[in-house]
Amino acid sequence: MMTKTKWLKAIISIVISIGFYFLPELLGVSLTPVEKRVVSIFMLAALFWILEPFPIWTTSMMVIVLMLLTVSNNALSFLKTDSSGELFKNLIPYKSIMATFADPIIMLFLGGFFLAAASTKYRLDMNLAKVLLKPFGKNPKFILLGLMMVTAVFSMFMSNTATAAMMLAILAPVLALFDADDKGRAAFALAIPIAANVGGMGTPIGTPPNAIALKALNSMDLSVSFGKWMAFGVPYVIVLIIISWFLLLKLFPITKQSMELKVGDKFLKTPKAIIVYITFALTVILWVLGDGVHGMNSNVIAMIPMAVFALAQIITKDDLNKMSWDVLWLVAGGFALGLGLQATGLAQNLIGSIAFDNFPAMGLMIGAGVLCLLMANFMSHTATASLLIPIFAAVASSLGGSLDGIGGVTGLIVSVAFASSLGMSLPISTPPNALAHATGLIDTKGMAKTGIIIGILGMVLTYIMMYFLAAIHVF
Amino acid sequence: MKNINIICVDDQSEVLDSVIRDLRSLEDFFRIEGTESSEDCLSLIDEIDSRGEQVGLVISDHVMPGTSGVELLKTIFNDSRFSNTKKILLTGQANHADTIKAINEAGIHSYFEKPWNAEELLNTVKSLLTQYILKTGIDHTEYMPVLDQAVLLEYLRKNA
Repeated sequence: MMTKTKWLKAIISIVISIGFYFLPELLGVSLTPVEKRVVSIFMLAALFWILEPFPIWTTSMMVIVLMLLTVSNNALSFLKTDSSGELFKNLIPYKSIMATFADPIIMLFLGGFFLAAASTKYRLDMNLAKVLLKPFGKNPKFILLGLMMVTAVFSMFMSNTATAAMMLAILAPVLALFDADDKGRAAFALAIPIAANVGGMGTPIGTPPNAIALKALNSMDLSVSFGKWMAFGVPYVIVLIIISWFLLLKLFPITKQSMELKVGDKFLKTPKAIIVYITFALTVILWVLGDGVHGMNSNVIAMIPMAVFALAQIITKDDLNKMSWDVLWLVAGGFALGLGLQATGLAQNLIGSIAFDNFPAMGLMIGAGVLCLLMANFMSHTATASLLIPIFAAVASSLGGSLDGIGGVTGLIVSVAFASSLGMSLPISTPPNALAHATGLIDTKGMAKTGIIIGILGMVLTYIMMYFLAAIHVF
Repeated sequence: MKNINIICVDDQSEVLDSVIRDLRSLEDFFRIEGTESSEDCLSLIDEIDSRGEQVGLVISDHVMPGTSGVELLKTIFNDSRFSNTKKILLTGQANHADTIKAINEAGIHSYFEKPWNAEELLNTVKSLLTQYILKTGIDHTEYMPVLDQAVLLEYLRKNA
């Protein structure tokens, strides 16, 4: 149901984005009509994603349709030609716009969804959690660390939301046994969303902003393989989790002396369950090894579990229908925006009209990170990445070599993707935060304080890592 | 907002008021309506449906003048417009046969005996409405404060 405020937000967004059609001219930047339309669509998407008059995935779908109707080579006929009847030169092939939904990176994510759905269905998630949590004993401080590590590892392969939901469900009965005035309850409730958000950065499929970054990198022939991403992503996640753990213990000291988690039971040993275990392990191994070893890139590998699970009827028609297609549409819309900026030449034109050449590279990198982190606290991480990554990708490529010391174009794009995952200071920042807040164990103030500190520390850690990666010539 | 309706049916107005009072904490998120007969309930849910709103839950007494509660819930159960609607029978006077009929033919989701425990009723109502919201695909984020945590978390673990 659309309420009055939502309609108002929608109308304001539309009016402003139409205004933006005329803005470049007023500022003395000359753009073609097709480019100006992309500016308007970009603004409309940005405002819809910020104000959210509609669910975010629907905005993505709208972006794709608006682009098809106004800036594609199959647009409405009166929009395809200029006043003298000549066809615009920078129209985008409609097939490229439609293809964003079947982009190889979308397939990579769909493969990830299959793995997650199969392991949830055969309770691999719960049972694995049990095994992984065991070594952390009964001391609440170490259980907290264990929970954070396990949550982070799971959210590298499952959605951050599903991971947080699972871990909060495990925690709920245990936290009920804590004294009401034990601050430790807040530490546990906060640990889950923090670890889920941070863990997503560990692999390319961990969270959708990574998809946006990969797509931008691919379109500049700077592809980062699955294994390479993990090689820097996983250590980063481990370090940030340990930092966050110390922070939580400091801010919310646990008074309870001993606790025990009840999770999972025996691993299923049915043939289907065994197929799930083997396929999961094999897919991850193939991903990590990379095409240098076996010739298949990560997108192609992602299709293997899809076929195996479908044939074995581990993923049924019903399971297929229940996949998070909205997430894929959301990402596709982000891809389409990036395509619009690139393929019409808009990005080049805009960057060319601003003197970025004299811009200090470090300043740009930090500015991009701060802006992204700020936005990601108030809106969807994926939407933030969709709006900022294509722009910073264009800026970065215009800077040439001056970024080299801090990771180059790759470093900039990855750091923006990381910044968008670090927005976690409010209940509205991410679904895992909303779930943790709904437990009633953590107030907004506590969440904000912790989230802001981790966001800033996470960015500093990102820049240190980029500097280091550049020094050892990884990027 | 307030698109989802909870309908309470009881011919004794003091009992009806008491049920509605027990659910008052849900008022910010759901429209809570009371009717004193099955006939009134049927015309009310018909009207709600034609307004484009949803009937999330019906809580009905059994022994009432006119159509009985079990018959009412059976009618709702067999109406495709309300196939997702959750149903609670709240009664002190249903005999064995009525109860069997309520389960087998009216597909009730919960049975409460009078006098009922207010907290238990509220928790059951929250749990059923959470299931209703997740099943019908209504945006659950708008209902966060009143959802049953366990039901929501289990759903999101499997579907997010």
